Amino acid sequence: MASWRLGPAWSDEARLAEEWRRAEPFPHLVFDDFVPEDALAELVGVVDEEPIERYEADIYAFEASAPEPKTSGLRDLRDAFARTLAEPLGRVTEKSLRRADLRAYAYRAGHYLLPHTDHQEDVGRALAYAYYFPSPEPPEGGELELFRCTREGGELVAIESARLIEPRPNRLVVFDVSDVSLHQVREVLAGLRPSLSGWFYP
Amino acid sequence: MVLPVTSRAAWTATPLPAVIVPDAVGRALAAEVRRRVEGAGYTRFTRVDRGSYDVATSPNEAELLEALTGVAAEVTGRSLALVEARVLRLHPGDYLLVRHDRVHDDRPIELVLDLSPAIVAGAEVHYRHRGQVFFTVPSAPGSLAIVERGPTVMCNHTYVSRRLAGASVVRLMVLLRAEPRGDEV
Repeated sequence: MASWRLGPAWSDEARLAEEWRRAEPFPHLVFDDFVPEDALAELVGVVDEEPIERYEADIYAFEASAPEPKTSGLRDLRDAFARTLAEPLGRVTEKSLRRADLRAYAYRAGHYLLPHTDHQEDVGRALAYAYYFPSPEPPEGGELELFRCTREGGELVAIESARLIEPRPNRLVVFDVSDVSLHQVREVLAGLRPSLSGWFYP
Repeated sequence: MVLPVTSRAAWTATPLPAVIVPDAVGRALAAEVRRRVEGAGYTRFTRVDRGSYDVATSPNEAELLEALTGVAAEVTGRSLALVEARVLRLHPGDYLLVRHDRVHDDRPIELVLDLSPAIVAGAEVHYRHRGQVFFTVPSAPGSLAIVERGPTVMCNHTYVSRRLAGASVVRLMVLLRAEPRGDEV
């Protein structure tokens, strides 16, 4: 079964916690070379077995697996991801994390996810994450864009682009979910942007 | 403006009335209106959690608006009066989300006049009933869409791909309400 292992960056949780708190425009962490090279092929093999279909709404167009994985391989991958990361991430972010969901995504040319926060009352999303795995056709575009939201008297009065995170292969991005965690996946202009993505919950 | 006889029939044939009148305005008039609106100036809307587009409110196009109101009255069989009009311009990367729309509980009529200089692939207006798209306004320069905005109807303008460098979508959006009959106060 494909597994997740924490790299050397996790040996200093105090430093990660500091990075998390200081990150702009809202707390986030970026881990490169997240999965050991020798485990990548197995991980990609598991994802390749999962059926995906097209999803489209006013805010997005992409291909993705169903919210609940159809194959035992992806379910195991999701459960192992949560088992491996929930505790250390909880310590770093000072959030109580127990489980995670996970879907496989394929953003092809013309696919996008427009600005949104992920925050929904009563859903309980604590952290969002995206893991980019190697693409047979490296994407042009498809960056994760984080926005800075300025509020005055509870009202959102200004929004500006604050950070672009490239979807580099074997990169994990974890970010906070709140009413100001505005972000988008910029349109993929060419190629394929494969990823695993979801949320951690208490 | 010649109104196809099918428009009136199509309007009455569905519980969610919506029709498209093709070739409602010619290229020359559309270009003239675009030039005048451009001259008066657009304002950029930048609340990207709701939309990203240029807008010109209250365009000074009385004659055109009167003609469009007449077409809508003929199609819907109602006596209609202008409530508001605005011109939206979308470039690659632009969109208007459903959450930027508003609910209308008095069933006004909305018009979408496509003033774009050329067809823009995938640039559509989607009208939704309880979240599901029931009517698509395609990119068709010169066409006029007429839609009843019931309380369950919401609308979004689809994302314009950044791959379409130089594309420009220009839409005159008009809201009309039924005029009270003479015996109403």
